[in-house]
Amino acid sequence: MKHAIELTINGKCYQIEVEPEERLLDVLRDRLGLIGAKEGCSTGDCGACTVLMNGQAVTSCMILAVAVDGADITTIEGLEKDGEIHPLQKAFIEEGAVQCGYCTPGMILSALALLKENPEPSDDEIRRALAGNLCRCTGYTRIIAAVKAGAERMKNHG
Amino acid sequence: MDDQKAYAIVGHSMLRPDAREKVRGRAVYVADFRLPGMLFARVLWSDRPHARILHIDTRQALDLPGVYTVVTADDAPNTRYGVYLKDQLIFARGKVRHIGEPVAAVAAESEAIAEKAIEKIVVQYEELPAIFEPIEAMKPGAPLIHPDLESYEATYPKIVKGNVCLYTRLSMGDTEKGFEDADYVFEDTFKTQPMYQGYLEPRGAVASFDFNDKLTVWTSNQQILVCQAELATALEMPMTQVRVIGTAIGGAFGGKLKTSVEPIAALLAKKSGRPVRLVLTREEDFIASRARAPYILRLKTGVKANGKITAKSVELIADCGGYSDHVVGTMGLAVSFSQGPYKIPNAEAKGYCVYTNNPNYSCMRAYGVHQMCFATESQMDIIASKIGMDPAEFRRRNLAEDGDVLVTTQPLRSVTVDQTMAQVLKACHWEEKRKASKQRGVKNFYGIGMANTILNMGLLSSAAIVKINEDGTASVLTGAVDLGTGNHTALAQIAAEELGMKPNDVNIAAVDSDSSPYDLGQIASRTIFDCGNAIKLAANDARRQLFATADEVLGAEGRELRASEGNVYVRDEPDKKISIRDLMGYRLYFKGGPIIGRAGWLGKPGFDHLVGEGYPQPPSVTFVFGTHVAEVEVDVGTGQVKVERITAAHDVGRAINPLGVAAQIEGGVVQGMGYALYEEMQIHEGVVQNPDFLNYRMPTILDAPEIVPIILEIPEEYGPFGAKGIGEPTNMGPPPAIANAIYNAVGVRVKELPITPERLLHALDDKKTREA
Repeated sequence: MKHAIELTINGKCYQIEVEPEERLLDVLRDRLGLIGAKEGCSTGDCGACTVLMNGQAVTSCMILAVAVDGADITTIEGLEKDGEIHPLQKAFIEEGAVQCGYCTPGMILSALALLKENPEPSDDEIRRALAGNLCRCTGYTRIIAAVKAGAERMKNHG
Repeated sequence: MDDQKAYAIVGHSMLRPDAREKVRGRAVYVADFRLPGMLFARVLWSDRPHARILHIDTRQALDLPGVYTVVTADDAPNTRYGVYLKDQLIFARGKVRHIGEPVAAVAAESEAIAEKAIEKIVVQYEELPAIFEPIEAMKPGAPLIHPDLESYEATYPKIVKGNVCLYTRLSMGDTEKGFEDADYVFEDTFKTQPMYQGYLEPRGAVASFDFNDKLTVWTSNQQILVCQAELATALEMPMTQVRVIGTAIGGAFGGKLKTSVEPIAALLAKKSGRPVRLVLTREEDFIASRARAPYILRLKTGVKANGKITAKSVELIADCGGYSDHVVGTMGLAVSFSQGPYKIPNAEAKGYCVYTNNPNYSCMRAYGVHQMCFATESQMDIIASKIGMDPAEFRRRNLAEDGDVLVTTQPLRSVTVDQTMAQVLKACHWEEKRKASKQRGVKNFYGIGMANTILNMGLLSSAAIVKINEDGTASVLTGAVDLGTGNHTALAQIAAEELGMKPNDVNIAAVDSDSSPYDLGQIASRTIFDCGNAIKLAANDARRQLFATADEVLGAEGRELRASEGNVYVRDEPDKKISIRDLMGYRLYFKGGPIIGRAGWLGKPGFDHLVGEGYPQPPSVTFVFGTHVAEVEVDVGTGQVKVERITAAHDVGRAINPLGVAAQIEGGVVQGMGYALYEEMQIHEGVVQNPDFLNYRMPTILDAPEIVPIILEIPEEYGPFGAKGIGEPTNMGPPPAIANAIYNAVGVRVKELPITPERLLHALDDKKTREA
């Protein structure tokens, strides 16, 4: 049986009929073509599918679509404003924190959730906030540097 | 001379252009592909380690609404293929040899329907005796996993027997006499585990046939041209009818070689007449993985009281699992580098690759040299400790130099390990820290340990085509995909430097076997070295043509020309200049036509005679060296090891993009740390017990140590602008350096990886018992 849900994704309102077993990740990727959320493990362990749900970082492979009725979702595609990428995205490029890129959208969104709560995190706070996002390429050093640089840039952007 | 010059582009850190689309979530990986009418595939994997297939009933699966087709071995050519040994088929035929071997596959309207259909396929098996220990599998009378092994084609002089699909023996000098001359002889056995590559993007491919029966495959493979050739072999099609296109790659590390999912997707596409996408789930990617093969390494080393090594012999046994895949190749390199970067006048190395009914193992970053390095560098410390010498001093007394020979009898060249060692020891204050007190608090102990690395550099062929466009920019056609390492950025720098263009005016084209020239692939740390050489030569060929036209247009009359920032000028009269764009206008519309530079490259080692039996590898072109120092804190109460810092010095010849080199070192170090301490595919009777990221524990950001990369640039004569590759060596140092640091901290030696808290506590208990 299909369920009708209504939700906001990247500031836009959607009314969608979903199957009971459909996940938020399926809705984003298969129905709306928002491919920035990646499926890495399907068990909530790698963080590649991370999106923001009402401001919180969540793994969208672990959330049923029926459960997001009324929610406000931000995906990586929602970070650009007027064709300009977000200061945190810019920081990831400039600090060399991107290699294969598969973990990158999820990593950026987990970091963004942290910076909204805590605009000046310590290294330890960054590590704790990103502990659920695996990266196999970078060794994480530059990711920590990028989150710090992003925090700086966000402050300067008001 | 290249090494005297300062370059405009090479050697300067450059940001990666592809990062822009990646931070926006716009890079397109295989799982992001959708074609009109595309079907979704799932695979039925063998759930038996060794069994005869009596019957496969697919009727119920086909009856399911939404199912288009089911394929089995009956739909595939009966052609065996493989990179070293042709022992492999697309689907199991007659019998299965490991859990996770493809038996059948389904294409349906959705993955959910395909999954249901898979459950409805009935396979009748007759169990065969299975064997999981390579040493057991080597014994006479062990059940034969490939009874037809004798008849399989191989690319190496095949010495096979029973389940042993490769035996190789190399020797040099007089080992027996070497051991007689020694004051001490050390014998140690080390064991390494199966390691999963752990790329975040699971393997996948999209396949489609057109109306002329031409196959197109999109894949995140790391060997696009090899994948094309192997598909053609496996499907019995001419290469003209097989087109392979590289997508964005979410990491590979040796796990996306040759073919795996591609032929399955192709057979489904052929039979259904529709495009088919097959993307593995993480669990499938684990159970059908091509993990780094586990090794047993027996080392015997003779040493004089003054610390000089007189002889070394090694016997290595690698578990292939059900098929040989790349394990045979890893053994070739493991035996080659069994002496480490040391001068050992008498040496012998024996290697065995053995079939078992374990999963199909293969290779990972640093191939078999990785396993070998752990054993050698651990034993170096064991010896140093026994003869009462500082491990650095013991290594120093035995360091190889140019002209010393490997056990393959190939002379070494470009040996720089003395310098990587000197730099790293100085940077981490080795002398003071070795002497410093170990105990920190009640149960915590500090330790510091080191390891040297050696690896081959340069492997077989690459080619490149450089097209100069009418706007003065250039497009480079190469078979090299960017694994995520940023090699496209560095390759563009190489082309731009040679052409005298701005790096952003060079485009490294997407890899498409219809137009990209041959390349062996993004393996063996060869991209910057081999593809870089091909691109540099092709760019040089294009520049030569540009200069010939410029000479005419500028009236330079043979005077020396230079190119920079998109302009060509007379060296002695820089005002006499013309833009490459204007030159191209002249070429295209008045004289000469388009400019296409081209080059093929095959690194020549100046050594082609390999002594020894059954050896499967070509000689090295040159060699690359490094040194790692690990600092750890060990908690003797819990057995936990915290890696605090790794200082990693690598001689890269020349850092084309220093930012990219540092990033490679950091990533490689953390992967190596995972292998040292946490990661192990746990296999019980052929079943992977931990096929998920919760139970297969890769390092998280909480584990990441401080990493101090030290980049040495000692130009390599054969490298493009002096460069050597660096992807793999970064990964080899941490396991032995960490094991040696643990020994320094608490005085126990763990010879089996990973060094888990359980293993360490066990070793600590043993030590206590011995001391009591």
